[in-house]
Amino acid sequence: MSVTIRPARADDLTAMQACNLQNLPENYTMRYYLYHAMTWPSLSYVAEDSKGRIVGYVLAKMEEDLAPGDEPHGHLTSISVLRSYRRLGLAKRLMLQSQDAMASIYKASYVSLHVRKSNRAALSLYQDSLGFSVQDIEKKYYADGEDAYAMRLSLK
Amino acid sequence: MTPTPAKRALPSKESTLFRELLNLYETRQLKKGQKTADQILKKFPEHGETLCMKGLILTHMGKREEGLELVKKGVRLDLTSHIVWHVFGLIQKGEKNYEEALKSYTQALRFDKDNLNILRDAAHLQTQLRLHDGLVDTRFLLLKLRPNLRQNWIGLALAYHLNGNLTEANKVLEQYERSLKNVPDYDPEQSDLLLYHVRVLEERGDLPEALTLLDTNAKSRAIVDRVAVMETRARILSKQEPGTDAEQAWRALIERNPDNTSYYYGFFSSKNTDLGALTDADRPNTLHLLRELSLQNPRTLTPKRLELTVAPVGDFKPLVNMYLLQGLNKGIPSLFVDLKPLYHDNQKLAVVEELVEGYRQVLEEGRLPDEFPDAVAAISDSDVPTMYLWTLYFLAQHFSHTNRHSRALSLLSTAISHTPTLPELHTLRGRVLKRLGDPYGASAAVNEARLLDGQDRFLNTKSAKYKLRAGLVEEASDIFGLFTKKDAVSPGADLEEMQSLLYLTEEGDAHRRQGKLHHALKKYHAVRKVFEEFEDDQFDFHGYSLRKFTINIYLNLLSWEDQLWSHPAYIHSAVSASQIYVRLFDSPSLANDVLSTGLSAEEEKKAKKKARKAQQKQEELKKGKPFTVNRRSPLKHAVAAAAAAASNEDKGLELTPTKDEDPDGIKLLTSPEPLERAWKLLSPLLRLPINNIDLWISIYDVAVRRGKYLQAVRALSHAKALDADHPELHVRYLHFQKLYGSLPLPPPAPVGTVISNAMATLATDEMSSEAYNVQYLQRHSGNAGAVLGAAKALQILGGPRDEVEGILFGVLNPGVDLPLKTALDVWSFLKDTSSPRVNEFRLACDEKFNLSTVFKTPDELAVMYSQGPDTPINTRAEIDD
Repeated sequence: MSVTIRPARADDLTAMQACNLQNLPENYTMRYYLYHAMTWPSLSYVAEDSKGRIVGYVLAKMEEDLAPGDEPHGHLTSISVLRSYRRLGLAKRLMLQSQDAMASIYKASYVSLHVRKSNRAALSLYQDSLGFSVQDIEKKYYADGEDAYAMRLSLK
Repeated sequence: MTPTPAKRALPSKESTLFRELLNLYETRQLKKGQKTADQILKKFPEHGETLCMKGLILTHMGKREEGLELVKKGVRLDLTSHIVWHVFGLIQKGEKNYEEALKSYTQALRFDKDNLNILRDAAHLQTQLRLHDGLVDTRFLLLKLRPNLRQNWIGLALAYHLNGNLTEANKVLEQYERSLKNVPDYDPEQSDLLLYHVRVLEERGDLPEALTLLDTNAKSRAIVDRVAVMETRARILSKQEPGTDAEQAWRALIERNPDNTSYYYGFFSSKNTDLGALTDADRPNTLHLLRELSLQNPRTLTPKRLELTVAPVGDFKPLVNMYLLQGLNKGIPSLFVDLKPLYHDNQKLAVVEELVEGYRQVLEEGRLPDEFPDAVAAISDSDVPTMYLWTLYFLAQHFSHTNRHSRALSLLSTAISHTPTLPELHTLRGRVLKRLGDPYGASAAVNEARLLDGQDRFLNTKSAKYKLRAGLVEEASDIFGLFTKKDAVSPGADLEEMQSLLYLTEEGDAHRRQGKLHHALKKYHAVRKVFEEFEDDQFDFHGYSLRKFTINIYLNLLSWEDQLWSHPAYIHSAVSASQIYVRLFDSPSLANDVLSTGLSAEEEKKAKKKARKAQQKQEELKKGKPFTVNRRSPLKHAVAAAAAAASNEDKGLELTPTKDEDPDGIKLLTSPEPLERAWKLLSPLLRLPINNIDLWISIYDVAVRRGKYLQAVRALSHAKALDADHPELHVRYLHFQKLYGSLPLPPPAPVGTVISNAMATLATDEMSSEAYNVQYLQRHSGNAGAVLGAAKALQILGGPRDEVEGILFGVLNPGVDLPLKTALDVWSFLKDTSSPRVNEFRLACDEKFNLSTVFKTPDELAVMYSQGPDTPINTRAEIDD
């Protein structure tokens, strides 16, 4: 319960990677975590228990390739909380901190994310707990050919 | 300018061709470049620079050996050309041979000292190698040459900072800021730079200046990162002097994010109270303030949880009652883990037990606890069943934690018959069984949980891990495979590529316990590879972070990299592999034994089948699949490079992974120099402050066998500082004394003197080793681990077998606290020494640990768990958490 929500540090990245691998099917090598941290150092947050274990994280960035006319916006690369730390509202708390930083530092007007069409658990987290709504379907977004929902949350 | 040496000079036609060659290389038109080089070489086959360029191009095209040959020849033919040295350096850098690359760059700079590209590359190499003096010089020169590039200013400030010269770093930053014109508003880059400047001032101890710079720029919105501003402000104010300003700053942070425990510590430190070390006099007022903060921030549990720690036992009960009821009502799975730290206080433990047992009794009768506070969110009788379930779940954890495992199991079986579909109940049952020494039962229970929610990777990972702990490696692989990439050669290959330390260490351990030492070594070395990748990953950011102006996090990255190897997964792998290598060194026939008995006929069949499957998969991959670009590809230029590679056959300069020549670790196992391999794994850890006694014991074991007595005795001193009475240290101490005493000639001074002095501080008395051992045993006769240590030591001293075994069987005496893990260690020792009393010991343990299965014979196990595809092999299961 007494789980701390704080900005992610460089020395959290291995634990974030471990948390991601344990929880989610989309995984990344360390370089990708480093790329996030070294480009947008204030957007990613972790949830840490009293023993210093990372039990949840949000890995976030700003969209780099803006379509003409598109406003600056953030992108949620990955968010997860260990099953054993559910029902504490950690995902929501992580998300609120991250989106606040997106808006105040980078003037983001919304946050986007992608989720596998089949991932009902994640979809309900994004929709019901975090307030995202489905914007579009991206055909064959994932390497294995599955479609993705493109979702958005307005920050205005 | 020095005249061009005759052998380098080319007639005008070839000279033009050479310039074209450089251009073609820059634009990576490799084939054309190769042709152009050949045109020049036809007439001037000894032209060093052209040879090097051709070699560089061939390397890019994947012909590394041929390319390198040409480059080396080119260098020899024109030792004073900056081009040849630059090319050589580029190739060495691609091979990640940073030391040699830097030497080549230094040569190149001798002949072209102001070359910006070479200087920049050299700076990156110096940063990677942490050569900070040289880095300052290089960065200084870069700034001098290009003062209009802002990153050159930051580069120099950082170089000074890394070299410990904060004063100069500060000066550079001040000068840079004065030169700035027209800084755009709300610029995140400028914001991070200013925060960096504040950090330099803070680290220098110029707190008032730091605060002024921070406040001015926060007010003008030049610093846009609010959290960073607030945290820095609070921290600096607290360092300056605790008091109202600091208190306000921490309070503001708590309001912004009440879920950060460190803010509360900061808040109380501003009131001269250390939350981590409260005196009884502090408690009432602290509790009062926490209650206030709790009321002001009703949505967070953090201050409420802190209240539980702070409250004296007298005030504890009503507080924890409220906290428990809220948590149980919401069904928070982590409630017990959250409260467990309170159990250091036995009285608090008793209060919790009494309360929750009370809830259980009432809930069992279908009622809500009487003392249910109004403050708890609306609750009705329909919530009773769920709350009852979470209460049982909590109590089961409570009893397991306090070593009342049977009670825990019976509560869980009540809970599971009440609601068979809650995965948490099954995972907990698995954990209890694991602690009891029943790894197979544990793995079956956790697998139940997995089957209840097949979409959840958390349960999947847990289940596979428990399979590995039970030695069911094949089954674990199949389970992992439900979530790994379908096009991977094997589930393990995907997990290894994704750098899963959990998978690599757990599977390595599983193989080690089963005596498949080659497979174990393979996994432990794979862990090392992951850390090498981590270490290498920083390289690109030496340039990238300066361009992006993300200086603060970049500095943190560098210090993280400096500590990288102290990661527990690396230490564990290095130590486990070293232990294997030491065994291989001590008994050279072991490798053959492992290989001849390691693979049963059935296993061999399985392995072949697996290999066939993997091969098929690879062939399918080669045939059907179109080239898929990884959407999540790291740095952008990596994507560009990949695209270029596809179109232009540019394979880049980095070494591409070659085929694994030793997929089963047999070469590792049969290596003629096991100690050198072990030392290579341990050496990155030598200079780090690591509080892991197993590591220092391993360092001793390897060093002493390599004849490095000074290193060995130093490792013992490190170990002694961590735990002077540790049994393994005791064994090593006597081992060293015996060995050192039997040397024909002691090492000469000064080494000999240092060693003798160190030995004198390790043991206090001048008594015989035998007497020392007896004394140790007497001092720790109630501690099973120490008893084992004394027995091992006696064996080293050449004591008779029956005496050694007599000591060992002492662990079974009524007054001795024998943990399951130590019992397994004793059993292993008896087996390793081919003791005739192995079976006697096993039977005694099987009776003593009546709920465990690890002391059963294979036949007994087969009866208990028949029909598994992998019948459990009872070697050495993992019991601890």
